[in-house]
Amino acid sequence: MNKIDLETEKIREPKDYLEIESLKVTYNQRGQETLALENVNLTLPEASIGAIIGPSGCGKSTLLNVVAGLNPSYEGKVFLNGKTPQESNEVALILQEYGLLPWKTVWDNVRLGLQIKGVSKGEAAERTEEILTQLGLLQLRKRFPIQLSGGQRQRVAIARSLVLKPELLLMDEPFSSLDALTREEMQELVLKVWQENGLTILLITHNIEEAVFLGHKIFTMSPCPGNILEELTNPLAGDHEARGKVEFLELTNYLRQNLRGRE
Amino acid sequence: MGLKDITNQFLHTIITIVLILLGWQILSMLLQTTAFPPPGKALKSFTTLLYSDILTHLQISLYRVGVSLVVAAILGIPLGLFLGKNKRADELSAPFLYLTFPIPKVVFLPIFLILLGIGNLSKIVMITLIVFYQILVTTRDAARNVQHEYVLSVQSLKASNWELYRHVYFPACLPNILTSLKLGLGTAMAVLFLVETYATREGIGYFIMNSWSSLAYDKMFAGIIAMSLMGFLLYLLLDTCEKIFCSWVNP
Ligand SMILES: Nc1ncnc2c1ncn2[C@@H]1O[C@H](COP(=O)(O)OP(=O)(O)OP(=O)(O)O)[C@@H](O)[C@H]1O
Ligand SMILES: [Mg+2]
Repeated sequence: MNKIDLETEKIREPKDYLEIESLKVTYNQRGQETLALENVNLTLPEASIGAIIGPSGCGKSTLLNVVAGLNPSYEGKVFLNGKTPQESNEVALILQEYGLLPWKTVWDNVRLGLQIKGVSKGEAAERTEEILTQLGLLQLRKRFPIQLSGGQRQRVAIARSLVLKPELLLMDEPFSSLDALTREEMQELVLKVWQENGLTILLITHNIEEAVFLGHKIFTMSPCPGNILEELTNPLAGDHEARGKVEFLELTNYLRQNLRGRE
Repeated sequence: MGLKDITNQFLHTIITIVLILLGWQILSMLLQTTAFPPPGKALKSFTTLLYSDILTHLQISLYRVGVSLVVAAILGIPLGLFLGKNKRADELSAPFLYLTFPIPKVVFLPIFLILLGIGNLSKIVMITLIVFYQILVTTRDAARNVQHEYVLSVQSLKASNWELYRHVYFPACLPNILTSLKLGLGTAMAVLFLVETYATREGIGYFIMNSWSSLAYDKMFAGIIAMSLMGFLLYLLLDTCEKIFCSWVNP
């Protein structure tokens, strides 16, 4: 399934990191079929941030799981820099609830990915320490996730992904359970991480302002079965003064009406 | 855990022991029968016997219980994790386990005695079988309920099946596994007593019943103390494991 088509490989424009074409996902639970995604088409240029907004249950997490290689039974084409999600080793996923393992300390949670990828012990320790220092988490390294605040957990989840030096970072509603201040702090952190590491990021959000603040490309999705309604190029992304500008208000209002009209 | 907590816990244990001994003393004074000697007398007989044959009997019993628990855990834990993780295998095996779990396996003791002889083997197999079921069912149920999010989180790192067991299923189920081992220990001790009262001249269960039939009540109580201490120490061992390996539950 989903073998690389050599023909399309040659003519592919090099600047799109993620390409999704006619993606369809059905869940089959106890004989009951749910069509979660149908005819999803999406492209995301290299080193940019894409933001997906859509109503609850429209298949956003499903889409991310496919790209992360967690759902091999999809139909359609999904390529990460020319590789299928199953082949790609350059993708990291931050789950909706962060996905930190409660039985591992901060240190062990962050190191786990390196351990699984077979990085040597010494190098793994070095890289773990480096990333924890960078995100201001080194003093917390011996704690368990349960002993952290929401913002700190989010930081650990980011550290856990970044330590793998991924090319594509997927984030599923990364800030939805944070208070407003921590949320803004984390948005800044994502921008900083993006700038410093030259990553491609695809994130899901319920928050329209957040999508406009972070997303160079904004995708709106329809309710179940989900597909992409609209793809907007957003010139305001990453602009710290944007929140005060008229264009910002106009864009958020447009998106809000667009989403509400379909719900 | 700080030093203060440890001293507090120590004091608590001491006070509890004193209260148990006090209750025993009062009960023996009320009953006024040689079959229920006061703790002082029983303990004295326990210490004098400690250097004679009671230790040999204890050793044999400890061996039987220890081997049974270890074998039951080695078989029950991996199989439980496997069934909890794999829906198909679980669905296939569930009716069998459902039907055989409530059977009191101890009724098969006569069969085991005939098939496996009256030596250690039949006893160990009997205890192992009973404890194995408890561990298997608890582990399977715990593995079934592992949050899918943790599995996805580690799967997204392109982990192998073995790594999923190692980093997710086993640690997630460990608190439940240790609880089932503790409960299994209680069952194992009870079954041990039963199997040691038939066709054997070794083991602490035999020692107790033999003292009873020869009306040596001090000796009998010394045996009871020895068996209780053995259970207590094994329980302490499991409890310590839980404190060390499951500290994340209550950090
Ligand atoms: N494992 C599964 N088995 C069966 N159906 C599923 C499964 N996972 C998701 N679904 C269904 O697929 C649809 C999309 O789910 P998904 O979790 O992708 O939505 P979402 O957009 O992420 O929602 P939310 O915003 O609430 O997180 C829903 O109707 C859901 O019930
Ligand atoms: Mg979701």
